[in-house]
Amino acid sequence: MKKNEFKNIALDGLARQNPVFRLILGTCPTLALSTAVLNGIGMGVAVIFVLVFSNLIISLLRSVIPDKVRIPAFIMVIATFVTIVDMTVAKYLPDLYSSLGVYLPLIVVNCIILGRAESFASSNKPVAAIFDGLFMGCGYTLALVLMCTVREILGAGSFLGIKLWDFSIPFFSKSAGAFLTYGLLLCAFNVIYNAVVKARKKKLYGDYMKEKYADISTEEVQA
Amino acid sequence: MNTKLVYSGSPHIRSNSSTRRIMLDVVIALIPACVMGVIWFGLRAWLWLALTVISAVVFEFLFNIVINKKSFLQCVREFDLTSVVTGMLLGMNLSVCVEWYVCVLGSAFAIIVVKMLFGGTGRNLFNPAIAGRIFLLLSFTSMTKYMAVGDVFGELTIAAGATPLTELYTSGVANASLLDMFIGRIPGTIGETSAAALILGGIYLVIRKVIDFKLPLIYIGVTGLLTVAFYGFDFGMFLPSILGGGLMLGAIFMATDYVTTPNTKLGNIIYFVLLGALTAVLRWYKSSECVSYAIMIMNMTVPLFDRYIVNKPFGAHDKKKA
Repeated sequence: MKKNEFKNIALDGLARQNPVFRLILGTCPTLALSTAVLNGIGMGVAVIFVLVFSNLIISLLRSVIPDKVRIPAFIMVIATFVTIVDMTVAKYLPDLYSSLGVYLPLIVVNCIILGRAESFASSNKPVAAIFDGLFMGCGYTLALVLMCTVREILGAGSFLGIKLWDFSIPFFSKSAGAFLTYGLLLCAFNVIYNAVVKARKKKLYGDYMKEKYADISTEEVQA
Repeated sequence: MNTKLVYSGSPHIRSNSSTRRIMLDVVIALIPACVMGVIWFGLRAWLWLALTVISAVVFEFLFNIVINKKSFLQCVREFDLTSVVTGMLLGMNLSVCVEWYVCVLGSAFAIIVVKMLFGGTGRNLFNPAIAGRIFLLLSFTSMTKYMAVGDVFGELTIAAGATPLTELYTSGVANASLLDMFIGRIPGTIGETSAAALILGGIYLVIRKVIDFKLPLIYIGVTGLLTVAFYGFDFGMFLPSILGGGLMLGAIFMATDYVTTPNTKLGNIIYFVLLGALTAVLRWYKSSECVSYAIMIMNMTVPLFDRYIVNKPFGAHDKKKA
């Protein structure tokens, strides 16, 4: 695997195709679970685990799975790993299990995981698929934790369950507040993203023009 | 040749009305109700009204300067009093018992999120004051605690939180006389209690041709009559249900906002009938004040009205006849 390819996968997962802020995938758990940072971290780790392993298995089986029944096959693979996560969390982290509730088994039908299986893992080599799963999962987790942070600090006045101050605006921990926070963060992320892309394009164009006309300008100066 | 020629398409009729003038009329019309609020609830009500108005204006200026990159002078030139109206309406929608930061947060939400982020005056999807009130209602329990009315300059005593309207819906009898409800000597938010002052403001707006007198009447009438119908045609419910809560304020000043109502006359009439029905149903179902929720829900349907109820253009005819 080339270094350039690796960099592309990492950038895609974290920013360019960030599942939450760029592709708007997996919004249901993002909106419902982002009331507390601990929930967000738990959900994020579960998604990373499922994504990495389902991507790996699907990438290994990509020549075996017939095209017509690929979706049921993907779902089978994903469901296996979700069941593993579900049982593990239920056994070792019962508190997290009860606060994640129905959203943990629902990872099976999470669009991010099926989307990556469909668009990346089924047409790429296993190593690339693992890294794609890892970075997509990290991008999802970071976005989720950002949502959780905003909503927990504003809505409950606490961070990671530790009380910061008495003041709180409970609107933000209600469902209407989830939509508002999501919209505002989506807006902020895309403003920053577009500004960065524009600046980079400008810089690249400048470099290109400098290179192209370097000889001419020096000749002109001499003339 | 000093004459400046302006080329433009028809119509060429010009009127003197501008956003600033209309909003000035609304501000004048709101003043009686504010005065009554201050008389019944004391100086604290005055402070809260001033705080919401000032913070609304400050947030609008800040947003224009920081995000829209306008100069201060440009902001002053373009200042059209809509934020003053929003601030006043929001202040009139608050209970006197709220803390000071509730006023500022409500103004911030109404102006920045609901109005400016959608593009400023004329582009907002929801009535900013209504959205601000709902934001505060969902956040702070002090919004639903009302002050018991005592002496004119009496001290602040917090009542259990029953307005005549909630009392009416829960026990069937309002806990205040009709006269008290009419002049506003009842618990409630700062601006909603005094029906007389609100009606006075409404008459001023009708005379100045700012609002159409039919629309608030339709809203109030439909809500009152449906409430009567829901409670087994007990016509004793009619007056308390329209005087006891925020219906007057909502119908005359909040629902008639130009931006968040349909553009056509027919659309407006249907809109206000549905608004009245929705208010009556929500009140009956929740046994509490739901005018703000009804207006916010109906605000969402305005683009639909504008899409399907369109005026016939001048000179248009049916294709079949031609």
